[in-house]
Formats: sequence, structure tokens, C-alpha cells
Amino acid sequence: MSAQFEPNIVAFLCNWCSYAGADLAGTSRTHYPPNLNVIRVMCSGRVNPLFVVNALQQGADGVLVSGCHPGDCHYMEGNFHARRRFTLLRELIEYVGVEPGRFNMSWVSASEGAKWKDVVGEVVVKAKEAGPFKQFRRDKINW
Amino acid sequence: MVDVEKLKKIARETISRDDVRCLIGWRQGSYGFRAAPHFVGKPEEADQLIFSPLCSHNLATYLTLAEKLPVPRGQEPDTRKVALLVKGCDSRAVVQQLVEQGIRRENVLVIGCPCRGVVDQKKVEAKYPDMGAAVTADWGEKTVIFNLPSGRVEAPREEVLAGKCMTCRYPNPLLADIEAGDAVAVWGSDEYTDVREMEAGDPRQRWLFWEEKFSSCIRCYSCRNVCPMCYCEDCILDRLNPGWVWRSANTSENTAFQLARAFHLAGRCIECGECERVCPVDIPLMKLNRKLTKEVREKFAFEPGTDPESKPLQASYRPDDKADFIL
Repeated sequence: MSAQFEPNIVAFLCNWCSYAGADLAGTSRTHYPPNLNVIRVMCSGRVNPLFVVNALQQGADGVLVSGCHPGDCHYMEGNFHARRRFTLLRELIEYVGVEPGRFNMSWVSASEGAKWKDVVGEVVVKAKEAGPFKQFRRDKINW
Repeated sequence: MVDVEKLKKIARETISRDDVRCLIGWRQGSYGFRAAPHFVGKPEEADQLIFSPLCSHNLATYLTLAEKLPVPRGQEPDTRKVALLVKGCDSRAVVQQLVEQGIRRENVLVIGCPCRGVVDQKKVEAKYPDMGAAVTADWGEKTVIFNLPSGRVEAPREEVLAGKCMTCRYPNPLLADIEAGDAVAVWGSDEYTDVREMEAGDPRQRWLFWEEKFSSCIRCYSCRNVCPMCYCEDCILDRLNPGWVWRSANTSENTAFQLARAFHLAGRCIECGECERVCPVDIPLMKLNRKLTKEVREKFAFEPGTDPESKPLQASYRPDDKADFIL
């Protein structure tokens, strides 16, 4: 067991902006922490708030939802809906005792490889501060 | 105030109408401080109706509970109206169901009963253990009057009314086709003090509180079944694939269930307090729901069930919605 805790972070990235932004960061050979497990979704509006709860149950120490900047959504309004939903979900999960740094949301466009690096750095720092997630993790997963 | 005799008269007239299928109201329960839902199909059955501080049920649930059986060939579906007695909070449920198009306006006839608060069963049963077979009750000036077997008692309303009634801002129905009484004065204001107290604590303290509550949940789904806003025909809790929430009753799944339930009511909960009333293990569910109603009110200036012309919160957006937390 190493001394430093390495958080396990699930990132839901929208196909049109954030995933391409992360791809740009990769092709530009940008260095950023390797704690993220990326799940590509078609839109940030496709991310069901229960995905976040489920990720925390199944072993994530942090969750990041990232989409296009408001007004840039490929589907015109998906990220506006996502913004309302996750504003409420964040309040709700913090209210039941999930540490504030665990759930994050960001807007990263396809050209913002450098911003993606900063976002990942910040999310990982926050998750490290919060420590391992224990509150309502499933004890054992028997598929 | 509602005159019960006048209410019965209205009910008899309503049920005699050709375009009304049934009327849903309250009648005396079988024991103690209980009231029971009463389904009136004939004019003479209207005589059993009551309206008193014991009428805590939110009858708007029944609008969407009716079984929608396929109609045999050659028969026409029954499209007559359902008449419903509503208190202030119940009327918000009806409005919200109309907003969501869960029910149609032409299928419901709302009879508004201005309400001065309903009792909390747990409070009154603890206060008056000698309740006997059937207690009747009425409102006094800032009090509730009970006719117990041992005689008539009068209790200050703070001691017997449900918590939701002490912070009630809508005692008068917001939607009514027929008014059964004159409007009553609003006595409460809602500052969300219970939610704010909770928020002020440390996240670990909050989790310890909720962990204890959620781990006692037995997953009876009473809270879902009684909720007037939980009327999806295909509920995620009944599905095995995808298994959003597993069926095992442990802390992890119970928390996921409670978060899902609360979140599905975000921007829809009309604070009737029915979930908390029926919970057999006394989970303070309204504390969870009220957190979201508070956020919805503060962040989006939205109150569900107050405006029949509004759009559902989570099905609409404003380009200038504030979200400071987004990186």
C-alpha cells in the first residue's frame, strides 16, 4: 500500500466537446493525473443523476460530468438541462453527507486541451482531500 | 372554515350530476384519531363525509392510482369526472399533476376545503393514549378540539398539528371548481429552519444522521405509493433491468433508493408530508424533500403546484440559470 491515496474518479464526457477536448490534451502530449476513468456519452444531458449515485456506490471516489459550454451544445439545450439537474443533485448528495469536493462539473470545449488539464488537476486534488469514499459504497459486488 | 353540512350538501349535488363518476373525500376511521378515504358513488353515501383536523390524507394520490384496464371491444371508456375534496396542500398536488399532464383538467372536479391544519397521528396518540374507538375533532381558535371518550379536550395547535401545517403557506386551495367554505388566514411562514440547521453541520455528522435513518429503511415503498407525484406507470424501483437500485435492503441500496426518490421529486414535491406520515420506521423524509424544495425556491425561484400555466422545472431551463460550482 503506497503512502499516497490515489482516488478513482469516473468522468462522463460529452462526445462533442469534452471528449474531443480530452483527446486534444492527449494528442498534444499534455501531462495530467491518470486517476480518471472516462465514459463517453453523447451529451451531458444524457447523464442521469443516478449514474453519479451509482458510480459512488460501485467504488468511485469522485465523479466529474463535463460537457459543452452553455449555448454550444450539439443538441442545442442538453447542457442547460444537465446544469439544472446537477445543481440540484450536488446539493442533495452533499446534504446527505457526501463531501463537497467529490462531485464536479465542468464545461470544456473541443479546443480547450489546456483547460482540460487544469480541470483534471483540480478534480484530483479535491478528491484526494476528501479521501476514500466510504459512506454508501456497496460492500461487495457479486455480479 | 368549512361547514360540514354544507360540504355534504355540495357532495350530494355533485355526485348526482351525470358527468361525475365518483367523489373522493374523508370519513371517520375505524379507531382512534384515524380518518379514512371515502369513495362516494351514491348521494346517500355522502352523509358519512367529514372534514376535520383528522383528515390528513392527500387524496390527490387517487387521481392517478385508478387502474386503467383495457376497455372491452364495443364499450366506451368511462370519461366521467372524478370529484375530489382538497385541502390547500392537496390542491398543489392536483395543480402539479395538471402541469405534468398526469391528469386532464376535464376529468377532475376539485372541491376546495380551506384547512386550518391537520393533526400528526404520532403526536396525538402519544398525548392522548386513551383514544378509544373513534375520536372526533374540530378546529378552535388557535386550538384543536378533540371529543375523547373521557370528554372534550382542547389542545394548542402547536402541540398536535403536523409539522408541515405549522409552516403552511397555502392553507387555501389554489385550484377549486367549487369552494366549500370561506378562505382562512395564513398563519405560517416557511424559513426552512430544520434544513438550515442540518446544512450548518459537518458532512460527516450529516452522514451519521442519515446513515442511521436510511439503514432502518425496510424498502416497503410506502413513501412512493402514497406520494401524489409518484405516478409513473413504469417505476425504476420495479425494474430489474437496468437495475438502478438493487432490491437488497442495506445501507448502500437504501441510500441510493432514497436519493433517487428525493431527486425524482426535485421541483415536483408539493410538501404535503404524506411520505413522512406513512413511513413505518419514521425516517424524516420531509427533511430530505424540503432541502430540494428550498434549493428550487432559492436557485430557480420556482414553486411546484402553484401555477397551472408553469412548465415543469426539470423539463425546462433558462439560459441564465446560475451554477457557480461548474469549473
